[in-house]
Amino acid sequence: MSSADIDSVQAPPRSRSPLRVFHMLVDLCEPLVEWIIRICGWSAILFVFAIFFFVIREGSEMLFGGIDFKEFLTSPNWRPDSVVRPQYGILALLTGTVAVTGLAMLIAVPLGLGAAVYVSEFAGPKTKETLKVIIELLAAIPSVVWGFIGYIVLGPIIIWLTGAPVGINVLNGGIILALMSVPIIVSVAEDALRAVPDSYREAALALGASRWEIVLRVLFPAAKNGLLAAVLLGVGRAIGETMAVLMATGHAVQIPKSLVDPVRTMTATIAAELGETVSGEEHYGVLFVIGIVLFVIAFAINLTADLVVKGIRGGQHD
Amino acid sequence: MVKGGRWRPRVMDPHIGFENVTVSYGPQPALRNITLGMPRNQIFGIIGPANSGKTTLLKCINRTIDFIGTSSVKGRVLVDGEDVNRLRNVYDLRRRVGMVFPLPVGLPLTVYENVAYAPRRAGLFDRHELDELVEKCLRQAVLWDEVKDRLQTLGTKLSGGQQQRLTLARALSHRPEILCLDEFSIAIDPVTTMKIEDVLLELKQDMTIVLVTNLVQQAHRLADQTAFFNDSRLIEVGPTEKVFDEPENQLTYDYVTGGFG
Amino acid sequence: MTDRPSQLGRWYVAPGAAGPADGTLEQPFSSLQEACERLGDSPTLSHARAAEHDEGRVEILCIERARGEFAAAGQPTHAYFVDPFTPVEGNGSERKPWESFPAAFAGLARLAREDRLRLAVGQRIEISSREVFTATSLEKWKSIKESIARYIFLAMALVCVLPVVAILSFLLYKAWPALSIDFLLTNPQNNLTAGGIWAPLIGTFFLVLTSLLVAAPIGILAGVYLNEYATDNWLTRIINLAVMNLAGVPSIVHALFGVGAFVHFAHMGRSLVAAACTVAVMTLPVIITSTREALSAVPMSFREACWNMGATRWQTIRTIVLPNSISGILTGVILQVARAAGETAPILFTGAVLYVPIADAGWNYVLPYGPDDRFMALSYHLFALSTQIRGVSDELLFGTAVVLIGLVLLVNSFAIGLRIYLRSKKKW
Repeated sequence: MSSADIDSVQAPPRSRSPLRVFHMLVDLCEPLVEWIIRICGWSAILFVFAIFFFVIREGSEMLFGGIDFKEFLTSPNWRPDSVVRPQYGILALLTGTVAVTGLAMLIAVPLGLGAAVYVSEFAGPKTKETLKVIIELLAAIPSVVWGFIGYIVLGPIIIWLTGAPVGINVLNGGIILALMSVPIIVSVAEDALRAVPDSYREAALALGASRWEIVLRVLFPAAKNGLLAAVLLGVGRAIGETMAVLMATGHAVQIPKSLVDPVRTMTATIAAELGETVSGEEHYGVLFVIGIVLFVIAFAINLTADLVVKGIRGGQHD
Repeated sequence: MVKGGRWRPRVMDPHIGFENVTVSYGPQPALRNITLGMPRNQIFGIIGPANSGKTTLLKCINRTIDFIGTSSVKGRVLVDGEDVNRLRNVYDLRRRVGMVFPLPVGLPLTVYENVAYAPRRAGLFDRHELDELVEKCLRQAVLWDEVKDRLQTLGTKLSGGQQQRLTLARALSHRPEILCLDEFSIAIDPVTTMKIEDVLLELKQDMTIVLVTNLVQQAHRLADQTAFFNDSRLIEVGPTEKVFDEPENQLTYDYVTGGFG
Repeated sequence: MTDRPSQLGRWYVAPGAAGPADGTLEQPFSSLQEACERLGDSPTLSHARAAEHDEGRVEILCIERARGEFAAAGQPTHAYFVDPFTPVEGNGSERKPWESFPAAFAGLARLAREDRLRLAVGQRIEISSREVFTATSLEKWKSIKESIARYIFLAMALVCVLPVVAILSFLLYKAWPALSIDFLLTNPQNNLTAGGIWAPLIGTFFLVLTSLLVAAPIGILAGVYLNEYATDNWLTRIINLAVMNLAGVPSIVHALFGVGAFVHFAHMGRSLVAAACTVAVMTLPVIITSTREALSAVPMSFREACWNMGATRWQTIRTIVLPNSISGILTGVILQVARAAGETAPILFTGAVLYVPIADAGWNYVLPYGPDDRFMALSYHLFALSTQIRGVSDELLFGTAVVLIGLVLLVNSFAIGLRIYLRSKKKW
């Protein structure tokens, strides 16, 4: 072939087919497109700061001067509607959160880790795939449905089993939260176990270890960072849960003395009371301050989980 | 044999030139003070052990070194007398240079679209012209006969040797003046290698070919000029016969006789 | 051990026996030491040889001289082992067996000589040849432990899964009478105590659609930026940190943010757009992360091949990277759609309300909510029916719950199915 027809590649062709015009336009807009992409990339930072900013803004009056922090953090008296003297002590709310989350983790962590071990080490490929899909679907069940289950289904069962006067309490919330947290614990823990190189397992097998021993003595120590991260993420999910605890733990603002006492968590308090406040009121502002506390706690947990996970990459030398 | 000689042949009007080029990846130097010229319409061979900077040299020519975040390039890299680092349109430069990598890469498009990719980006959309161009490039890459009936197969489904020839066809599709090959025969069989070597000997009439190879005999067979690199330095360069039969440098002698690397 | 096809390997010792001894019942050896020395030395005691091969077991019993009685089957008093493949010289124990019968006899003879081993009447010594791979008692115990372990972990996995499956089945059972197309298409009536769930259903639809229109473009493009353009500097690290934290913000804090930023600051008031924007911010981080994962599944070599042909970054993304990762991106977006449909907290104060009267037919039926309107949503509807409305029939209540769960699970299953299907259609 002569070179004449090939030169047409280098010189722009004369045809103006619509496809060519489209591609030309798209390529001309390239700097613009790249800027839009860049801005979208920065938007994530924007939104995180925006959350922090706006929540603080609405709570700023109370945050910077309105609240007596000592009372806030140590008093169990939460009486925002009191006409005489409104009190904003969140100790009861804090203990409510801790109690429900603690119970939930007590149930969910062993179960979740055990299930993760089963899926990762013992299950055959078909079983593994099925279980993983089921667990993923369980993770997708909305929070309000869990609350519904707690309120309508589990409540009467608890009354029947324990003879308690009310079925929505720490026990109810704990069980519901445990069932909600298990999927995330299982999937993160299973990832962590899967990341342990097979060579560890093979070496242990060659030394004559049983699977049980391999799990406890080899895998858990090797995957401990990932497992810890799984637990932390489960805790994070449980602490931040709103609708399920709102419906399953009751409405009593009190420090729980037994498993069947109703409590209120911080999240449920905001959800229950914000609707009745007006922007600018003290009560409104304090609810936002509670929101800030929640944000900070969630931030801390997530940061720790992330650092723990990075600890694997930093520390592992294969 | 003269030990440690640094005689460099004078190249008049080199197609590609390096003047005191030093490249580092962070603190690690990859090329140290390289000065050489590659003449037009010849095959310029580059030999040397691993990590001697050969691939880095190629990346400087078409400025794909820019994609390595930690890289810094000092000195002048010239194509047709122009400093490539001062060019405004780097994409145009890359279209003038064709690159073939060690590992075959078939894009996840049909074979036809693989070869038509670069022309389409350059603005060629006429179906008839594209057909001609695709066939020409595939013929040049000695792949046409094997794929002419299945141009719609996915490029990723071809064999390794076929994918390497597909890469060559892609490199030729934007009509480069310079064709760079980086150890192209590592992952392909000897028969395909021979076919491609024959093609290179024909192609050098139309373009300048820079051939980086770890197969010393390949350079001996194909290259008109050969440069020997070791540990990021240019040790010796000159006509292939001279570099192989009467090298000036002891290291060169050791390498071409299979002493190390 | 009770079944003895032949007695080739059985030798007798009777203390105090006199006369020629060949270890048989009629002419027993006179002492253990003699028995072992004779058995070990003599190649003509072909019975010993035969025992080695036939049963791999040799027994030495001690009997009363004259009475010819011997202990019946049962556990031997002393059990020793021989293992031809043992790497080290052993002492006859199960863990460190002797390497052959002659060695066993020699060892036993020595023990007898040193008086460390005595055989009283009625006692029995058994030397068995252990095949390499038969389970010892130690290993049998281990495999029992392993089965126990397996069942324990299986039980844990089932406890995580079965109760929920049971609960969901129960819900379906209670909801069954109410489920019908009518239920989905009829508006709630009679103060929400009767009728269907159309108004909240269509409200959820529009909420999710609007939030998707906001979150998907921003999230996908942000993912493109992070995977294709961002270099590894401090800014990128902060962005990654921000995405990760955004993902962990509690839903009620999103609600507070929505109230502060969209309802008040942006003057949207409580409306569909305010709620949609709040939900969008909530789903954003996961869309970003799943986009990045989908993009990074495209091998770097493809991008390099394109760059070397003179294509720009965006051209490469547009022609090779995005088309080959769009499926993974889509899966991520669909999963967030399901999540958006189920969330309640972010819409509680930003626009969802208990009741909005909408028409039963016509335009207002299909398009009841404008961007500035308050709206009904399925998730909030379930919450309200459960906790705030009296006189709701069980089937209505459970029906609402089941529709919500069904909707969410259906969309999730679709996304999971899409992911599995696409995994099978890999192009490279």
